Amino acid sequence: MSVLEIKDLHVSVEDKEILKGINLTIKTGETHALMGPNGNGKSTLLSTIMGHPKYKVTQGSITLDGEDVLSMSVDERSRKGIFLGMQYPEAIPGVTNSDFLRAAVNARRDEPMKLFTFIRKLDSAIDELKMDENLAHRYLNEGFSGGEKKRNEILQMKLLDPKFALLDEIDSGLDVDALKIVSDAINNMKSDHLGYVIVSHYDRLYELVKPTHVHVLVDGKIVVDGGYEIAERINKEGFEWVKELGVEFKEENEEVRANPTMLGACAAKVVADESSKN
Amino acid sequence: MSHLKISYDDYIVINDGQVTSEHLPSNVSFDDHTLKFTLGAPIALHVVLIMSKDYELTYEFGAHTHAEIIETRAINDEATLTRTINAQEEANVQFFNENMSNSHHKLTFIDQGNIDAYAHVEMGYAELSDDSIEANYHYHLTGVEASMKLRMAILSKEAEKKHYTINLEHNAPHTTGIMDNYGVAKDTGRLVIDGIGTIKKAMKGSESHQTNKIMVFDQGCYASANPYLFIDEYDVAASHAAAVGRMDEEHLYYLESRGLTKRDAMQLITYGYLKPVINVVDNEMLKERFEEALTKVGA
Repeated sequence: MSVLEIKDLHVSVEDKEILKGINLTIKTGETHALMGPNGNGKSTLLSTIMGHPKYKVTQGSITLDGEDVLSMSVDERSRKGIFLGMQYPEAIPGVTNSDFLRAAVNARRDEPMKLFTFIRKLDSAIDELKMDENLAHRYLNEGFSGGEKKRNEILQMKLLDPKFALLDEIDSGLDVDALKIVSDAINNMKSDHLGYVIVSHYDRLYELVKPTHVHVLVDGKIVVDGGYEIAERINKEGFEWVKELGVEFKEENEEVRANPTMLGACAAKVVADESSKN
Repeated sequence: MSHLKISYDDYIVINDGQVTSEHLPSNVSFDDHTLKFTLGAPIALHVVLIMSKDYELTYEFGAHTHAEIIETRAINDEATLTRTINAQEEANVQFFNENMSNSHHKLTFIDQGNIDAYAHVEMGYAELSDDSIEANYHYHLTGVEASMKLRMAILSKEAEKKHYTINLEHNAPHTTGIMDNYGVAKDTGRLVIDGIGTIKKAMKGSESHQTNKIMVFDQGCYASANPYLFIDEYDVAASHAAAVGRMDEEHLYYLESRGLTKRDAMQLITYGYLKPVINVVDNEMLKERFEEALTKVGA
């Protein structure tokens, strides 16, 4: 059994404190649901565990089986068994899914996986997730629909076989059929060797994957812990009842993700020496 | 160059103007600076140029010929290579150029050519050499419905200076010129790409499109991508895009979150960025060479 332990975690983005003392212990074999109104820190928590450079940990600790996660680079965290299924998976032109997936699979192995074995594993995952047969040859997430991108995250999770899978709104953009496929894949992977932390705005996913633990995150703190009954109550009553527990919060609009202008932006010409002046 | 493998059964090795080794099909001949291709079976030819002084070479693709060419250059001294590449009516040419020179010299490349009616030329330039380059490529689309597709993959690193001017000039109606120029600048490398699309008056129904992108690795490099469209006709379609920028941090983060080290992630992204140039021809040996050369990108 593995344990991911978060203690008194404080996280800031550009000097604004988002997480204000999170305590959470996840063991393999468990499925945790992270609920709460928009803009209260759920995605921040998952991204911080993965190590996104935007999020600065100002206090507290994250450990994986006693090892300090915060001192690890992003790729090290992945190789140690942490996986983040992202809310907005990046599209990377020029990089094919198969080149990327092989590199990712081999990054955590001493000996590279035999090409034949890799193709067999990939084909079976593509089949299970009912994805495009040409996926391997397509560029990573390029031209994928929202639902395809999310399924591609689950495909990566299957191939990388993590100890802890953090799924950030993995169900958004999925139609009913795709949601069933994704939740089946999540359920099929459940084992004593995998722990889930799932963030979703829709109760449908929670109904399908039945979390063992539910936490409500408000204003950077976990204010309610419990079992699946919490998810059911939120489903029926929303978050209003949480206020009755003496918790104050206001719902914020979801953060609009700023897309930096990078290569590929039409007619955006920046002379490199300008950036070197900064 | 000593390890260069010949990519096709048919080849010619020209060392400072002298043919040192050849195996040419019956419809290809070499005669004093000119490689001539005539109608017959489709041609797949590897041309190896070894140079230590200036050289001029003409490729003459006859009407209706089909040819796939790989030209590999190894240039050991400061020199100019001037080429003329002509494709006559309905010729269909896939042409890949790789510069394998590694002697840190200043090289000048001048290409000019005419593409006749209904001829199609696809031209790929892989420029991962250790040289400084001043290059001027100017192709004329001289016959109706002539088309040219040009793609470059360039790495400018260390103290290299690489400057490319590419002009696709439309001198006949209903011609198509497309260029995609991709570059990477690192260390204190300098890379400038000037892409020019010229459509002369009355060349109606023509299309000129270009994309110029340079990825910048380090603070000390200089990169500039400049598209120009000179169009003197209304009934045309034209577009241009230019971008110079750093590797997208979010792309790197995404790949790193799957366990790739930063170096591997950068390599994968760069590889994907420059690699499409090799699709001009379908040759496994070339792919291997290109991959090997790409390791120079490092991270």
